[in-house]
Amino acid sequence: MLEKSDQYNPLQSEFSPEDDPFRKVRQKGPNRWILRHLVHGTNKLIIFIVFFTTIVSANLQSISRVLIGAAVSEFLVDISTNLLFYTIIILSTGIGGAIVRLLNFMLREILAQRMERDTRREFFTILLGKSQSFHDRQKVGDIMARATDDVRNLNFLVSPAISLIFESFTNLIIPIIYIILFYPTQLIITPLIFTIFFLIALRDYNNKIGPVSRDLRIQYGEMNAILNEALSGIETIKSTAQESSEVLKFYTSAKKYRDYYIEQGQIQAKYLPILFYALSITFGLAHSIFLYLNGFLDIGQIIGYIGLLTLYRFPTNISIFVFSFIKLATAGAERLLELMNQETEIDENLSGIKKEIEGKVEFDNVIFTYPDGENPVLRNISFKINLGQTVAIVGTTGSGKTTLTKLISRLYDINEGKILIDDINLKDYSLQSLRNQISYIEQDLFLFSDTIFQNISFGRVSSMEEVVKVANQAQAHRFIMNLPDEYETKVGERGVTLSGGEKQRIAIARAFLTDPKILILDDSTSAIDSETEDKIQMAIQKILKNRTTFLITHRLSQIRWADLIIVLKNGEIVAKGTHEELILTSEEYRKIFIKKFDLKPEDLLRGG
Amino acid sequence: MVNIPILGLEAESYDRKYSDRKLIKRVSLYFKPYIRNLIIVVVFLTFYSLTSSLVPILSRFIINDLETYQNFTYLIFILSLILGLNLLNWIFNYFRQINSAKMIGGVVLDLRRDATKATLNHDLSFFDKYPTGKIVSRINSDGRDFAQTVELTIELISSIIIILILLIFMFFINLILTLIFIFSIPIFFLIALSFRKIAREKTLIGQRARANVNSFVKESISGIQIAKTFRREQNLFEKFNKINEQSYKVNLKRAWVLNTIFPTLSVFQGVIIALLVYFGGFSTLNNIISGGDLYLFLQSIWLLFFPLFTISSFWPSFQAGLAAAERSFSLIDAEPKVQQKDNIKPNKIQGKIEFKNLSFQYEEGKKVFENFNLTIEPGERVALVGHTGAGKSSIANLIARFYEFQEGEILIDGISIRDYDLETYRKKLGIIPQTPFLWANTVENNIKYCCLSATNDDVIKTLDKVGGYDWIDDLPSGLETNIRERGSLLSMGQRQLLVFARVLIENPSILILDEATASVDPFTETRIQEAVERVIEERTSIIIAHRLWTVRHVDRIIVLDHGEIIEQGTHDQLIKKKGKYAELYDTYFRHQSLEYIDKVKEMSQT
Repeated sequence: MLEKSDQYNPLQSEFSPEDDPFRKVRQKGPNRWILRHLVHGTNKLIIFIVFFTTIVSANLQSISRVLIGAAVSEFLVDISTNLLFYTIIILSTGIGGAIVRLLNFMLREILAQRMERDTRREFFTILLGKSQSFHDRQKVGDIMARATDDVRNLNFLVSPAISLIFESFTNLIIPIIYIILFYPTQLIITPLIFTIFFLIALRDYNNKIGPVSRDLRIQYGEMNAILNEALSGIETIKSTAQESSEVLKFYTSAKKYRDYYIEQGQIQAKYLPILFYALSITFGLAHSIFLYLNGFLDIGQIIGYIGLLTLYRFPTNISIFVFSFIKLATAGAERLLELMNQETEIDENLSGIKKEIEGKVEFDNVIFTYPDGENPVLRNISFKINLGQTVAIVGTTGSGKTTLTKLISRLYDINEGKILIDDINLKDYSLQSLRNQISYIEQDLFLFSDTIFQNISFGRVSSMEEVVKVANQAQAHRFIMNLPDEYETKVGERGVTLSGGEKQRIAIARAFLTDPKILILDDSTSAIDSETEDKIQMAIQKILKNRTTFLITHRLSQIRWADLIIVLKNGEIVAKGTHEELILTSEEYRKIFIKKFDLKPEDLLRGG
Repeated sequence: MVNIPILGLEAESYDRKYSDRKLIKRVSLYFKPYIRNLIIVVVFLTFYSLTSSLVPILSRFIINDLETYQNFTYLIFILSLILGLNLLNWIFNYFRQINSAKMIGGVVLDLRRDATKATLNHDLSFFDKYPTGKIVSRINSDGRDFAQTVELTIELISSIIIILILLIFMFFINLILTLIFIFSIPIFFLIALSFRKIAREKTLIGQRARANVNSFVKESISGIQIAKTFRREQNLFEKFNKINEQSYKVNLKRAWVLNTIFPTLSVFQGVIIALLVYFGGFSTLNNIISGGDLYLFLQSIWLLFFPLFTISSFWPSFQAGLAAAERSFSLIDAEPKVQQKDNIKPNKIQGKIEFKNLSFQYEEGKKVFENFNLTIEPGERVALVGHTGAGKSSIANLIARFYEFQEGEILIDGISIRDYDLETYRKKLGIIPQTPFLWANTVENNIKYCCLSATNDDVIKTLDKVGGYDWIDDLPSGLETNIRERGSLLSMGQRQLLVFARVLIENPSILILDEATASVDPFTETRIQEAVERVIEERTSIIIAHRLWTVRHVDRIIVLDHGEIIEQGTHDQLIKKKGKYAELYDTYFRHQSLEYIDKVKEMSQT
């Protein structure tokens, strides 16, 4: 079904970047890129037919007017006219024109819908192929706005925008040709002058209305944002009795919107082409009357000529709004391209080492700054872990905990220092081999709209027994069996909603199945009053066994028993050691236990 | 403008409750302040329609004259008249459009303001009913739809006047031709309207298909990390192509269906023209009508195609506009459930709270409290514990007067809560919700939100009280740092600390604290605990407790179950009883104890 050029997939090894038909044009700016999509594949033939039918349609419309004029000429001269003949011809041009226009519409819709389909596919494909670092930088909401609105606007760019513009263009030119063919040539003066003034006035109008339309759009967005925020914080507003000031805030913004709306209305009211059109009919009439009085035209011809002039009504009317589509679309295309053109940084190192990892991890004076960041996020990070140990990483948000763990599976490259796994530098490993053996159970667990079975086995071919076994270990089996379809229950956006604790255990089950040598578990968003706390504790304790685990956690129970505790603050290690060691060496750590359990310092130093 | 008629054909149906007449009456009230603009619009609109229809009529006279007398002066005169009329026409339209924009802009602004004001003043039961997204949509995008409908209505009136004038004139010229016209109009409408049903259907299917692709893309992007970790990209790619292709096909069909409407009407127009040519030609041949007359008829049909199309899609657009207005009015009209009977403005509140024989339910049939009694003394620190739905938040909601209760009394300092001036009362309350909410503004402005008169010093002092000022220094611009939407620049714990500061600076007499359940790193947790300690000093405090430390340090724990107080006392007293509290402790608080932490290691050996 798909052509070869539409099958380009950067993730399949049989394709190389050269097979991507749009690779070069993405660098050449939105206009060239849009154009390239427009003429892609079989579109070229369709464009040709669209051109052709548009011109034919304009011709038929013009012919119709000329014929009507000729018919009237006949009727007035009172020759025995074949009335039926004229009627039928005129009817034919009318119906023929309608059919041609229908074909024209349908074809341009194909182009428009294809534009949407193809750009969306390109966007999605390229995004899928991007590195993890890229995705960490983006907000899903932003990507989605581009994938939906910006792609859709490209559809509208083709139809109606470009199509209508082309149609208007033909409607400006073709009547002139017919005037030359059937009427005294000097009659082209009026339409020509109209066209010139029309184009000038149109450019002026677009220059004025563009900024105002944009301001209107932005202001509308601001009104939405203000309302959304106020409604989200309604409890706060009511608690502090700030209702009137919030209303005022909104009103001020809405007033600005009203002012832009009026400004837009003023510019639209001054739209000159409509006046030019009316004047052109008048002058055309005057000119043709002049010629009539001098015997160069008859009445029927006057009617035909004016009929041709009225064809200019179409371009005059649609030009009021059609150009805004172009602006919207090109702005959207720019945003799409900007995203797609961002570079992928990490090289896959296909020839790297592929060995089975044991789990010894060492950081040696690591310094790391994010690619688009200014200051280092991690500094002088050094520690050593042996296989099977559990490391608890503790610190306030923004201290670098998550970042540190991202470096272990080489989601980013570090700036200085070394990271060694089993005494081999991270960079020397094949990336794929590395990532296959390191699992990450993340904070906001994401479940696909699929069955529980699929979410646990995720991409691996597993039997039900295997899945049930790991579900049991993860303390998830029981709640799964309580679901309507047990393991076949659909979850995710369109399925059953699971609680935070339940999701976490599914993720742990998944991790049991993949059985990684190094596990990174981000446990930091759990609630503190979970009814199933025991279960979660057990599941976590079980998964920690016999593998090197990095645990980002707030639970004192996990921190207490970790083999090594690393305390991060502002990207640096401020304390390192076992629980007992930290009690002795770190006052802040000690304070946690003292405050929470109303202990005295002596109590802490006793036992453990 | 091409879009507006199509909009009407595609409009969603909305079950209307208000009658058309009532709505129109109400909407017209909003036009009152702009009556001057309205009059100008009506006057200039009428003039505009007159001049628009006069031009083809005058042309007819010219052409008639050409056929007969060829009076030069007469011709020049009429031509100048036409020229003048065209200029006037443009000027009339100019004034009409400007005043129309002012009028509509003003009406929509007032409508939005009233809807927003009414909304923000509703009590919380209102917000349980209407989700945020719908409310915003009603105020903003419905306002926009309403504006479009008014614009359309104005165009429509102008179109109608023009058509009427022309029809009347044509009527006096020739009956048959006029009849052709008149009969074509309803057929025109029928064609346009019959498309509507098909158009709506196809549009819905198309929207759904597109929504499918978009949600697939969103899901894939959101889960991209997992997809990469488990190398599942290929799978996703194939699925995507399928859904994308489907959306293409479905939306193409929809576009094709919608696009047949113009050509169909075109054909119809062609038939009418042919009829005109035939009968008109016949009449001309037999000298029943003149060339000029025929010209007028032809001009009219070219002139009227688009206005007729606008009119035919008017009714659904008009309904859509009324529906939009109705949605705004329903926001304004929703009856506020919380009504005060008096407006006492006390200087000070001691903080004695009494619930007497209280009955309360959020909605019909789900009683939360029945004959509930509770007294809290000024300065007392009380912890509420119980399972979800036991009534803890309801007590807090009622004290905050967020909801109305049905029977019994609530007395604050011996006076019924219904007798206070709500604004004054609420300023003496401090409410810390479970999920901290912050504004996209600076740290300082967030803290000063309640009281703009607070000084920078007050802010710093308060921050100090809630656990130290040093973490603010670590922020990019200190107190001036903009913490972004919902405070997303800060960690969960930092947000909590900020809310503590915000409430503390108000110095409330009654504090309601719904302890956050989201876990926070141990260092910040220590600070928050200190902040709680500080904030419950010197005021009546009602805490929905989730921290072990809290229940151990309050004056009294109240154990709720299904709206009843089962046990009361201190932590040590209640544990000894081995009753409901002990059970709750086991479920919610035990995990926070030192013994549990010490024992966790052994658990995993099983």
